[in-house]
Amino acid sequence: MFKKILIANRGEIAIRIMRACKELGIRTVAVYSEADKNSLHAQFADEAILLGAAAPKESYLNIDKIIAAAKQTDADAIHPGYGFLSENASFATAVDSAKLAFIGPSADSIRAMGDKAESKISMKKAGVPTVPGFEEIESENDFKKAAKEIGYPVLVKAAAGGGGKGMRIVNAENEMKESLEAARHEALNAFGDDRLLIEKYLPNAHHIEFQVFGDKHGNLVHLFERECSVQRRHQKIIEETPSPLLSPELREQMGRAAVTAAKAVGYHNAGTVEFVFDPSLSTFYFLEMNTRLQVEHPVTEFVVGLDLVQWQIRVAAGEKFPFPQKDFSQRGHAIECRVYAEDPANGFLPSTGKLLQFIEPRGPNIRVDSGFAAGSEVTHFYDPLLAKLIVYGENREAAIQRMQAALREFVVHGVTTNIDFMQAVLSHPDFQNGEVTTRWVETKFNWKPTEPSFETLIAAALADQTIANRKTQNANSNEPDPYSPWKVASGFRN
Amino acid sequence: MKTTFDENAIDLTPSGKGYIATIGDKTVSVEIVHAENGKLDLLIDGNHVIAYVSSDGAKRWATINGQTFLLTRSSGTRRSGAGGEHASELAAPMPGQVRSVNVSEGEAVSKGQTLLVLEAMKMEIRIQAPRDGVVKELLVKVGQTVEREQILVKMDHG
Repeated sequence: MFKKILIANRGEIAIRIMRACKELGIRTVAVYSEADKNSLHAQFADEAILLGAAAPKESYLNIDKIIAAAKQTDADAIHPGYGFLSENASFATAVDSAKLAFIGPSADSIRAMGDKAESKISMKKAGVPTVPGFEEIESENDFKKAAKEIGYPVLVKAAAGGGGKGMRIVNAENEMKESLEAARHEALNAFGDDRLLIEKYLPNAHHIEFQVFGDKHGNLVHLFERECSVQRRHQKIIEETPSPLLSPELREQMGRAAVTAAKAVGYHNAGTVEFVFDPSLSTFYFLEMNTRLQVEHPVTEFVVGLDLVQWQIRVAAGEKFPFPQKDFSQRGHAIECRVYAEDPANGFLPSTGKLLQFIEPRGPNIRVDSGFAAGSEVTHFYDPLLAKLIVYGENREAAIQRMQAALREFVVHGVTTNIDFMQAVLSHPDFQNGEVTTRWVETKFNWKPTEPSFETLIAAALADQTIANRKTQNANSNEPDPYSPWKVASGFRN
Repeated sequence: MKTTFDENAIDLTPSGKGYIATIGDKTVSVEIVHAENGKLDLLIDGNHVIAYVSSDGAKRWATINGQTFLLTRSSGTRRSGAGGEHASELAAPMPGQVRSVNVSEGEAVSKGQTLLVLEAMKMEIRIQAPRDGVVKELLVKVGQTVEREQILVKMDHG
């Protein structure tokens, strides 16, 4: 087993991985950028190494600096988390060449699935159904030609991509130029690779993905599905398992297809096979495989009762995965809500600032994976995910109720969040009936923030009043909480 | 004492153990049971209410029963954001970097046209013309870092 693992990531996922390491008695090394020097993930590790400037290319995407940090601290393995370098085959190769263990699949598997063109070809060969489209084209003209053949709307997306970045829906030919430019630039920034592919855009589809897990000894199982159809800007915000849509027969078919897909590229470690699913026809297409740990892995952990990150570490160290497929079943229901610093009333624009209050919910079967606390700074350099709130219930209804109660307890001040928005999604009949498609938020869900209640206005006014009183009575009071409105009496600019 | 948040004026008058609060034609009694570290334990007309309040300049974050509102304390006069009928100023919605400037000064643009593109948190944000008009002044260059609410473009709508 490894003695020390470097976690090449930041935020909640870095902390989640460090927890697994600590449970297994493995020492941890964090890496951080200048913008993250006071961040929780850097504090949580046994050691922390500064990589460089805030820009990802100077820090979390810089392979040489990360390998050097691992060498300097005598780490024997690197966990890439999700995003950043997690699906970068050159990184996995560089880790191998440096005589370190990469906690994830082989560089060859990453390459085979990371290149969306190559992956589609090999999936077709393996007998896994794929979305109609074209790969390996470059010029604007070729994209226009391809789009005409497939029929608008089409999706252009990063060939190296994932996580919804570098992806644009194109509804008509006159949108192609701008969409290609924007997607290319995002792709270059997020993945260091600006190649794009094009495929038919399926507007009424559900996004259903299957978790797969394998060891280096040829054992590979699927751990059932996650329904991830509640999305905005092609990024998931609410995920759950089981999917309310799948019959046992479909679940078995899709699970088998997921295992076939993973085996076709010699997969080991944790991975996710994504499908688009059309409920009216009960057809599914392979969309892509994410060759890494997924953001929403905790819902699977709840219903199958496995710690995926611990097992990632154990199989990377060469252990056998001892459980055959027949040992797994789905027990109960789990939901995840991603708490983002963003404004749903304003096009989901990211919101930045210092967190003035950050109170996480607690209770039975409530899990919060977060990388922030009161006083943390949310900067514009990185993804605006603040925390993942995951709940477990005996069935879907119980899980929804638990999530609604937990979200009501989550208090975030200092940045705008999507908490109220997700609350509205959960209580919507379409969500409760399992009828939400990937375009539902944009096209059907007409959410508007409510007006502040009478009580809210009174509370805000009272806080001001209390400040005014304090100012006269006790101007130099030494409040323990520096962000308390009762403290900043002299700090008002208006 | 009167406090105004956005368009809502709240009057708090000390009375007995607490206050009488008036908003428009609504009046209630309010008592502070306990207040500490941004958490208020209140009795509003005898009903127990827990509120979380934080301040940041003129902004107030207030949460009751899981719903959070961002209120802006105003001093009576409201800032005019758009600059009237004939002109407008377009500001950065968040801090970021100018990725491209797609128009030049004096250029006639139509409603919805992308004037420039900002990049923040790996996302591209298009700044579009709110109405037909002419670009009067471009205040930023490609590559420049901008702050939230920094004016980017001045427009003339004749």
